[in-house]
Amino acid sequence: MSNPPILLQGVGVQYDLHLSRKRSIRKTVYRVTREKVESERKFWALRNINLTVAAGESIAVIGPNGAGKSTLLQTLAGIIPVTEGKIEVRGDIATLLHLGAGLEDELNAEDNVMLVGAFLGIPAAVMRKKVKGILDFADLGKFARAEARTYSSGMRARLGFSIATSVEPDVLLLDEVLSTGDASFRDKSRGRIVSMMKKARAIVYVTHDLESAAEFCSRAIELRKGEIVAEGPAKRIIADYQKRMAANPAAYPVGKPGRARGR
Amino acid sequence: MASRTHQLTVGRPPRGTLGTIAETLESIWERRELISRLTLTAIRRRGADSVLGHIWWVLDPALQMVIYTILVTFIRQRSQPDFPLFIFVALLPWKWFSSALGTASESIRKRDKVLRQIAFPQITLPVANIVESVFEFCVGLIPLFALYLVYPSHLTMWVLALPLIIIVQLLVTIPFAITLSAVNVFYRDIGNTLTHVLRLWFYLSPSLYSIETMRNMVKNYPALDFLVSLNPFTWIFSGYRDVLFEGRAPDLVPLLTLSVVSILFTFVAIHIFRRMAPNFVKVL
Repeated sequence: MSNPPILLQGVGVQYDLHLSRKRSIRKTVYRVTREKVESERKFWALRNINLTVAAGESIAVIGPNGAGKSTLLQTLAGIIPVTEGKIEVRGDIATLLHLGAGLEDELNAEDNVMLVGAFLGIPAAVMRKKVKGILDFADLGKFARAEARTYSSGMRARLGFSIATSVEPDVLLLDEVLSTGDASFRDKSRGRIVSMMKKARAIVYVTHDLESAAEFCSRAIELRKGEIVAEGPAKRIIADYQKRMAANPAAYPVGKPGRARGR
Repeated sequence: MASRTHQLTVGRPPRGTLGTIAETLESIWERRELISRLTLTAIRRRGADSVLGHIWWVLDPALQMVIYTILVTFIRQRSQPDFPLFIFVALLPWKWFSSALGTASESIRKRDKVLRQIAFPQITLPVANIVESVFEFCVGLIPLFALYLVYPSHLTMWVLALPLIIIVQLLVTIPFAITLSAVNVFYRDIGNTLTHVLRLWFYLSPSLYSIETMRNMVKNYPALDFLVSLNPFTWIFSGYRDVLFEGRAPDLVPLLTLSVVSILFTFVAIHIFRRMAPNFVKVL
C-alpha cells in the first residue's frame, strides 16, 4: 500500500461564469443570439496543481482571498469535480468547511445528528451510538430536545461542530474552523481538532491564521490566482509569506473566507 | 486500524453514460437511509409551518372540490351527475403531481449549504421529495373514501385496481421531477413558470370534464385530438375515473405504454441530472 492518501496531478478546476451568474431565460436567449468569445466566460479557479500528501503529513494552504483555497478543499472532498488532470483521495474523508450545514429547523438535536450522519453516509446503527457523545460535547442543555429553529447561532455552530468532528477520518479537510463559538468552546474545540488531526492519515488545513498553521502543519503551500506559487516546510513558507505581506499589505487581502464568485 | 483498506473515495474514473445511470440507481438504493430521513423531515416541515398542520393534506383537496363543484353547478347548466366525486378523483392525483413537481424542483436549490459541505449523491434530494408526495397523496385518499359514503353506488370492485393507476402516475412523475430539480438550479424562472404551465395543463386535460366530452370537443380537429392522446394525464385521469367513478376496467394499453415510455424518460432524466450535477455547487 504505497498509494498516498492525496495525489493531484495537473489538476485544474474551471468555473463557467456564464453559468455561475444567476440567470434567467431572457438573458440566455440574449446571449445565444450574440456571439461571445469563449475565454471571457471561463475562469480557472485552480490550475496546474500538483500535490502529493503522504501518510502522516499535514499541509497548510495559505494565500490571499480568492486564491482558490476553498475550491481546493471542495475538490479534495469530491464536492467539486476536476475539469482537467488527475485526482486521487483515498480513505474516509471528513470536511469541516461550513459548520452547521444540513441542520434542519424542524428537527430536534438528536434527529439532526441522525440526518447529518445520513448525509455523511454513516450507517444509522453506528451513528446512534455516537448521539450521546455528540450532544454532550455540543452542550445544548435543555435545548437538545427542542427543534433547531429555537437555537442561537452559537448553539447551531456547536452542534454542527460536534457532529462534523465525531468521525475518525483518514483524510481531514479543515477550513478556518478553529474559531467556533465562544471562548470556552473554542478551547474545547481546538483540543478536539488536535486529537482528530493526530488520528488522521492526512490533513489539509486552509486558514488565514498563520500562527496556527505553522503550529499544526509540517508542510505548506501558497496559492495565488489558482496556482501553487510556493511549497515547502510550513515554518519557512509561512515566514516568507508574512514577510511579503508586511511589506505590501494591500496585495494580501485577508478577511472572512467567502465565495467571491457566483454572486 | 492498520489493516483498514484505504480505497479510492475521490477520483474514480467516469463510467460512461449507462454506467453513470447505473451508478445513480445504485446510489439511490445505498442511500435509502438518507432518503427516508429526508422524507420524514419533509413531512414534518410540511406540517410545522401552519396551524392545522397535516390536516391541510385532507382539507386542501376537499376545499378545492367544493369550489369547483360550486363553480361548475352555477356556470354549466347541464352538469355531470355526482360532480363532487367526479372532480375529486381528478383533483387528488393532480394535487399530487403538482406538489411533487413543485417541491422537487426546489429540492437541490434549498440544500445549497449541505451540498457545499458534504459530498453525497444529489439525486437523493428530488427522490425524497417524490417519496414524500406519495405519502401526502395517500393521506388524501381518506376524504375520497369518505365521499363514497355519500355516493356508495360508485364504489365497485374496480377500486382494487387503484394501485395500478397510482404506479403509472408515479412513473410519469419521476422523470419530470428529476429534470426540473436540476434545471431549476440554473434557471430560476422555472419556479414561476411551473405554476402557470401546470394550471394550463390541468384545464387542457380531462379534469373538469370527462374524456368523452373532451374527445367530442376536438373531434373535428385531428391535430388537437392527437395532442389529447399525447397528454399523459388524459390517460391517467381516465384511469382514475374508470376505477373510482365509473366502476369499470381501466384502458390498459395506453397505461402500460405510458409506463414504458416513462421508464425510458427516467433514464434520460437521470442522464440530464448527472450531466448538470457537477456544476450545482459552482452555481449555488
